[in-house]
Amino acid sequence: MRAEAVRAGPAAAIERRPASRTSTLYLFAVPATLLFVVFIAYPILWVAGQSLYVRSGSGASSFAGFANYVTVLGDPTFWIVVRNMLLWGVITIPVQMLIGGVLAYFIERHTHALRGFFRTMFFLPVVTSVSVISLVWVQIYAPYYGIAQEYLKHVGFVMMTSPIGDPKMAIYALIIVNIWQWTGFSMLMYIAGIANLPSEVLDAARVDGARGWRLAVHVIVPMLAPATKSLLLLGVIGTLQTFPIVHLMTGGGPNRASEVFGTFIFKQSFVLGDTGSGAALSVIVLVVALALSLLQIVTLGARLTPAGKERP
Amino acid sequence: MTPLARSRLRSTVIHMVLFIVLGFWMIPQVYMLSIGLRTPAQAFDAALFTWPVTFDNFVTVIRDNPLGGIFLNSLIVTVATVAIVVAVSSLFAFACAILRLKGSLFLYTTLLTTLMVPLASMVLPLAILLKNFGWVNTYIGLILPYAALGVPFAMVILKSFLEDAPRELFEAARVDGCNAWQTYWHVALPLVRPALVFVTIWQFIVTWNEFFLALIVLTKAEMKTLTIVPMQYSGLYMANPGALFAVLTLIALPLILLYVLVQRAFVRGLLAGAVKG
Repeated sequence: MRAEAVRAGPAAAIERRPASRTSTLYLFAVPATLLFVVFIAYPILWVAGQSLYVRSGSGASSFAGFANYVTVLGDPTFWIVVRNMLLWGVITIPVQMLIGGVLAYFIERHTHALRGFFRTMFFLPVVTSVSVISLVWVQIYAPYYGIAQEYLKHVGFVMMTSPIGDPKMAIYALIIVNIWQWTGFSMLMYIAGIANLPSEVLDAARVDGARGWRLAVHVIVPMLAPATKSLLLLGVIGTLQTFPIVHLMTGGGPNRASEVFGTFIFKQSFVLGDTGSGAALSVIVLVVALALSLLQIVTLGARLTPAGKERP
Repeated sequence: MTPLARSRLRSTVIHMVLFIVLGFWMIPQVYMLSIGLRTPAQAFDAALFTWPVTFDNFVTVIRDNPLGGIFLNSLIVTVATVAIVVAVSSLFAFACAILRLKGSLFLYTTLLTTLMVPLASMVLPLAILLKNFGWVNTYIGLILPYAALGVPFAMVILKSFLEDAPRELFEAARVDGCNAWQTYWHVALPLVRPALVFVTIWQFIVTWNEFFLALIVLTKAEMKTLTIVPMQYSGLYMANPGALFAVLTLIALPLILLYVLVQRAFVRGLLAGAVKG
């Protein structure tokens, strides 16, 4: 975010008007502010406050300090969730970037007539309802009648049960579904980045003898850094809000092995009705998200927009 | 080999590889359609394709289920959300980028933090808030939270477009006697059209497919949206995968078709600089 105020000019002239009319100009900002206050800020403050209270059996709540946090952090499931979220982020984000980036490179630089076709087809999983996707993949993974096991058998990969029914494999099986659904998004962000590369730089690199692999790795990849940073930032937030795929495919099981923050919060808050620890969990996720985002913005200069090139 | 022949060969190979990768990539969708087109006898075959195909499943599920009503619920929630997001975020972006209202930069930065908030951490407080408002099982109970979560992203993009627009145009509008509202409507909005189109399409996709909050807020059958009904059908049609996958295909289809129709404008908006910071 740049300092806007220093840039004066014609626009500043619009501002110079009688005070009575200036105040009506604030109406432009009121709706967004109201939505933010009522549906974002207030709920966050409420959940932060609620995380400090416990509800007794009779329904009355009493102040409990950090008791909810102690309970949550002492719950072994919490640490399974942390491990799963780490795996999720560490696998999903780079794999999506890699596949998405390679697809974007070949589609953008080596196709012409079919460019729109490829861009659209690889993006379709993103626009397909996640609940539909989840049920289709349950069927794919299923033993006996699912196609994954049937076809993997031919390449010597034999499974006895559904991978989502196996505590060791469940989280990886879910990660594959997530990667499949969102790679098209990474691809499109990189396509935007590649299409906006300044042609002078590419021409200069070509004159210097960089082509093919070397052009891609030494010139294009570094120049796509803004898109990569945005994808990293969006990937971290996306990881923390993972819910539908896990909820629909394993429900966090078997035996809580594939539990993620979303399903854990859902269970504590809406299945068990324990709003205290649900609130504490919500706050933890929120703090982790804000901390990781700020860390990236400060250290990498990442942006919160989908991709990006440096502005002049 | 001449350079021309070599480049032609390379292009052919790259296209072939892309088609092969795409073939694998499309397996889940092809599989879904394929099961939907099966007879009960073939439904549990462990194969990607079976023959012959039948449309009986589609006829059955359309006849037996109120898909039209569910579709309408999704449409109402989505269209209203998109309209609010576009209106509210463009007004706010105009206040920040063109009017430069005092304090608007602070507000902008504050609203930006929304982008870092995972929905998972908002579901519990929003559920309580909506319950207190009496908005459980209402359209408005989804529309306003969706709008609040969508505005910051749209606002970033529209603000960046407005800042890149030629300032002389706004100056000229002022000289011609336009007030702020007229400048917003007649100058700013037409200038950022590609961005508005991009924001509209993206917000449409996100809202249409949102699952977590819809699951919590919509519990009455007649209020449910398309994304949350597949779970019910997976129980209903447990012994009849043909019907289940027919209904899943029908649920996924509207947005896929819509995206295919608008993808050109969507990508154009993205390339035109919806991607700037």
